[in-house]
Amino acid sequence: MEERTRAYLRGRFRDYYRRAEITPPPAPESREWGYIPWTTGPDTRMIRHRSVLDIGDIETFLERERPRHVYYSAGLYEDPGANSMDEKGWQRSDLVFDLDADHLPGVTLGEDSYAEMLATCKDALRRLLDFLEDDFGFENMEIVFSGGRGYHVHVRDERIRHLEREHRREIVDYVRGIGLEFDHLIETETVAGMGRETPTERRILRTSGGWGERLHDRFVSFLDDLLAMDEEAALERLQSFDGIGEGKATAALNAATNNRAAIEAGNVTVHTAIAQLAQRFAERTVEAENAPIDEPVTTDTNRLIRLPGSLHGGSSLAVRRIDRADLTDFDPLVDAVPETFTGHEIRVTVDRGGPVELGGDTFTVTEGEQSVPEHVAMFLMARGRAEKEKETGA
Amino acid sequence: MDALYARYPFLEAAREAVAEEAVDLATVVETEPAVVERAASRVEWALETGEVGDPAPDNRVELLSYPVARVLVSLVGERVLVRRYARAEAAVAHERFVADLADTTELKSVDSSGLDLDGLLAEFDLTESVREAPSLAGDATSPAGGSATQSPASATARSSDESTYLLEVGAYLPLAADCWGDEWRLVNRALADGEVPVTETELLTLLQEAVGSRVAEGLPFPDVPDPIADALEAEAADLRELVAELELVREIDTVVPELFPPCMKALLDDIQKGEHLPHHSRFAITAFLSSIGMTTDEIVELYRVNSAFGEQMTRYQTDHIRGETSPTEYSPPSCATMQSYGDCVNMDDLCERIPHPMAYYEQRLDDAEDEDGEIEDWRETLEGEAAE
Repeated sequence: MEERTRAYLRGRFRDYYRRAEITPPPAPESREWGYIPWTTGPDTRMIRHRSVLDIGDIETFLERERPRHVYYSAGLYEDPGANSMDEKGWQRSDLVFDLDADHLPGVTLGEDSYAEMLATCKDALRRLLDFLEDDFGFENMEIVFSGGRGYHVHVRDERIRHLEREHRREIVDYVRGIGLEFDHLIETETVAGMGRETPTERRILRTSGGWGERLHDRFVSFLDDLLAMDEEAALERLQSFDGIGEGKATAALNAATNNRAAIEAGNVTVHTAIAQLAQRFAERTVEAENAPIDEPVTTDTNRLIRLPGSLHGGSSLAVRRIDRADLTDFDPLVDAVPETFTGHEIRVTVDRGGPVELGGDTFTVTEGEQSVPEHVAMFLMARGRAEKEKETGA
Repeated sequence: MDALYARYPFLEAAREAVAEEAVDLATVVETEPAVVERAASRVEWALETGEVGDPAPDNRVELLSYPVARVLVSLVGERVLVRRYARAEAAVAHERFVADLADTTELKSVDSSGLDLDGLLAEFDLTESVREAPSLAGDATSPAGGSATQSPASATARSSDESTYLLEVGAYLPLAADCWGDEWRLVNRALADGEVPVTETELLTLLQEAVGSRVAEGLPFPDVPDPIADALEAEAADLRELVAELELVREIDTVVPELFPPCMKALLDDIQKGEHLPHHSRFAITAFLSSIGMTTDEIVELYRVNSAFGEQMTRYQTDHIRGETSPTEYSPPSCATMQSYGDCVNMDDLCERIPHPMAYYEQRLDDAEDEDGEIEDWRETLEGEAAE
């Protein structure tokens, strides 16, 4: 990045911060703050271990320093400005989730467009919120577009802020479905002698919550589809599962037909063929419903996270808080474009052209010197794809 | 009340009772041999059988023997002892409160030495975090319609009349963290609306964990006052000998990769390079790292240098190693086993004198300490990083 480009971005970041209203996270004085300045050279380092006492009022600080990136800690400390974690005196931490398009299974890097990656990421976010809202029943959550390639969720529910690293790992494994064991989703009931039968054991899938309920819902709706098909198609479908041949498929179909109600009540072990089939569903359910969050972010109780409302120095987009009710309509490539950067054009030299989707439009930028809308220019320059031209030369 | 405290000496109220009596521990250990004797037997039993032995007939002696036992454990200063002792106290407490709970429900005993579930939950600040689950009839509302035809079966009570409790997930996770077995993992639990259903038996197991943590809290005490330490020196020496006799693996809790034996260095190097290791080799290095005090997270972090190391596999394997065998009794493969698998490489002088990779590492650590070198634990180099 050339000096002129850097100076321009830095100047425009200040203009943004002059106008923006930044709401800091709760208890800013107990958090560590860090930022990356717009310095030259490859050894751009994060300045961290700062407290609010060191940097002063957040809005004033941002306007003065107009950093390239700015972060605060998920952790709250007695002495957040201390230089080592031991001295800081950890008290508790927000529980933070990070979904990053770079790490999502459904994303093909280099092939998917930025908008497509973000859309895949939003699907994953929806699945994550299902877990956080329904399974965990968390209160006090904040959903944030990261300004880059994904979304963050900050959970500040007092009932879980004391959890340490190893406990948070269990939460990670839960939303990712890691370590799920079909056998442990099953509860054994002893059925007292019914009619002629002697007391016997019945194995019931726990359907009152957790992955058991997810698996069950999927399984029951699969059986519904199956029973709606003609027999031949149903058998064929069943045989598409590993280890299910013609015999087992027939047995499973018969068992499903005859025991529909019992299966719906959770008794997936009415027949061994059904049990085997249900077991196959554990894997499928995890594949379809897990939320592929970035694990180290959630387990690190000292993590630094981007400040909502600030600008992302790698995209010039704003890090945006999103109201839960507005999530469906939220379009990061429109709603995170800072207004300050819209409405006029500037001249740049583009090094790497290509399509750019931003502000509701798709531009195909060619290489070379040209005028483009400023928000597009800011995006390209921040990404290192363009350099600023002298306005006077225009 | 003394009876209750003698039975459950870890209770906060028991601690206060000891303090209120203005009991000076130094005087006790100097003048009351019965207390010291009982304290020593608590710890001996813990080491040898996992229990704490028969209570002293006198409630006061029994109660006072608990704080003295914790001092003894501290004087020996071995972490393995702290863990064994806490586990034993917790196991005995569990046995007792299970009996007490059965007693109050069946015999309505008014004996004040009993503890009820509410009292236990309150003791560990869990009152607000636990509630009894609504009855099964309430649960059955979820499956729509179809289940009506199942009435004879679904009306059947569970295997026992055991109650189910709902425990807030924030309280569940720390308590279940040390429970062994995949059934305790959150992913296998019917978590709904922030609550984890547990049976009464499971709840009592979790309370046992809470007792264990309480007993181990603050142990070993960093500075036991000299008069107390002097008075207990003989008992502490006996216990030290007992620990040595039982050949509990010396607990290493220092991670200095430069001092690893050549075989482990080589394996770690391969993993960090992203090479595919056979199962026995992975097992050997992971077991070794686990035995020198590294947690699963730390092992993953150490392997992470190369991104292709297979995080999930590492986690499974490490958890497996921890879950299947008690960490104090578990040890990584010996030199003989390493040799037979072809994992013994780059032997040096020290290798020829030791039978086990752990012995090699212990020796190197001791040497490094003797040389007065500053040992930097690899884990101290880790700290919070910034997210994207």
